[in-house]
Amino acid sequence: MIHVSQVSVRFGGVVALDDVSAEFQAPVNGIIGPNGAGKTTLMNVISGFVQASSGNIVKDGSNLMDLAPHRRARWGLRRSFQREEIADDLTAFENVQVQSDSAAGPSDQNDIMAMLDLVGMKDRAHVPGEALNSFERRLTDVAKCLVGNPKLVMFDEPAGGLSVDETKRLGALIAAIPEQTGAQVLVIDHDVELISAICVDTLVLDFGQRIAFGPTDQVLADPRVKAAYLGTEEV
Amino acid sequence: MNRSLFHITPSGWAGLFFAAFACLVLPSLAGNLWLSVFTSTGCFMLAGAGVAFMYARLGMVSLTQVGLMGVGGWVMLRLNHAFDLPYEMNLILAGLVTMVFGGIMALPALRMRGLYLALVTLMAAGGLEILFATYQFPNGGEGFWGVKTGSAEPFRRPALAQGPAAYFRYTVVVVFLGFLLIELHRRLAPGRAWALIRRSEAAAMAAGVNVTLMKTWAFGISGLLGGVAGGLLAGSLGLLDDGTFRASESVLLFALAVVGGARYWYGVLIAAALFRILPALLNNWGVDADLSFVIFGAGLLHAVITAPDGIAGQLRGALRKGATA
Repeated sequence: MIHVSQVSVRFGGVVALDDVSAEFQAPVNGIIGPNGAGKTTLMNVISGFVQASSGNIVKDGSNLMDLAPHRRARWGLRRSFQREEIADDLTAFENVQVQSDSAAGPSDQNDIMAMLDLVGMKDRAHVPGEALNSFERRLTDVAKCLVGNPKLVMFDEPAGGLSVDETKRLGALIAAIPEQTGAQVLVIDHDVELISAICVDTLVLDFGQRIAFGPTDQVLADPRVKAAYLGTEEV
Repeated sequence: MNRSLFHITPSGWAGLFFAAFACLVLPSLAGNLWLSVFTSTGCFMLAGAGVAFMYARLGMVSLTQVGLMGVGGWVMLRLNHAFDLPYEMNLILAGLVTMVFGGIMALPALRMRGLYLALVTLMAAGGLEILFATYQFPNGGEGFWGVKTGSAEPFRRPALAQGPAAYFRYTVVVVFLGFLLIELHRRLAPGRAWALIRRSEAAAMAAGVNVTLMKTWAFGISGLLGGVAGGLLAGSLGLLDDGTFRASESVLLFALAVVGGARYWYGVLIAAALFRILPALLNNWGVDADLSFVIFGAGLLHAVITAPDGIAGQLRGALRKGATA
């Protein structure tokens, strides 16, 4: 279970997150909201890139706020970014190996190859990053998140720029992560279809505040969520 | 695996053949003067390798490398005149002291990137230039600084390499080992971490890479290579002059690494040859050696505008084109 409790973030006078709390218990969870709602800021707080002014992030009894970003990764936190981060001069295999080099329980080469196989990149394992297409780079990024016994995997708009078929394939991969690795998953995306297909529970943020949290279908039907996305008519 | 630890790439084979050629053929073709120029070229190639790998693998600009050579050279001369240790021991110590010096110097600079990092390293080079100009290099005198007026005490060269030809071969072997050290790092965890740091520091941290440690280690390795290069240069000349280690020389070495091609060993060779052999050639032809600065400037413009991987990258591209045609 991921316990986000009373997390606040301020950038000068701007309140990016305002006392946000949520308990993510489902294997795959979503975080949605309009642009500027604070989704990526929350993910950055969980990964340690942004310092919260208050609050805690506890997962399986470990308070992640006590750890530096690279130590959170060694603990078992994995994340991908809005833009895939694949080094051009490393092969797909080596890109995944970077993650396992620093993992608490280092994976052997077979584990890395198994994860590349899982995402469908085994045949491209020794191709340099610069020669991979955008979907292959994204799949390599996913494989990177799976090695070294992850405990929490976070995806920040993983389907950005992908075709409908690629998004479906990626969604199936993400949905299978808890079963394959035992890790819990958090997904941010604007693609509501993807979120409703793979996320059991979803947190909705707007202007840094929690406006809804619960089973995804109920949350998406919530009038406050619709209003946040579509706006309200002033009479 | 395709790129296992001991796999020799075509570029690696070319490097091996070039080192063999340099060891076996060059000494029989060149006189003592040119052997001295080639040895000096080897020293600057080793120092250039340090600055080039930092730029090519991490995207970090260091403008202190020739200053770090001076640190290595100072330690080498100090040890040579103060103790009776073997040359190799002095060389290793000179490298290690410079490595620690480079690592410590890097710590405050590690939060900076790009232009700001370059400026901080340039200021460090300026500081070293002042220190060298003030205290000079040890030449067998008394006290900590070991400087005396008059003729310098003799420098003890390695037992294996007393003459110019043997010392040149010795330098080639050490330079080759330096490149092997870089390649070893490139193929192991530090090299992978450096590649990801270059892509994005945030992504590297998310992958569990201790970015500060890895960047400090890179500065340390670069310092080690610079220090050993300075030690080799001290052994070649017997004494060192502060004019060799000016901050402007560090800037020039970096610029030439970009012109030559920082990603490739032969790019660093081109850089060192431009740095040392071209001015000597111009002198030999009776042309003012300062003309080389005009040529360097034109080369830098060429690299910035048309050849991001330098002359070496263009050569590689042409060879590949030729192979597929």
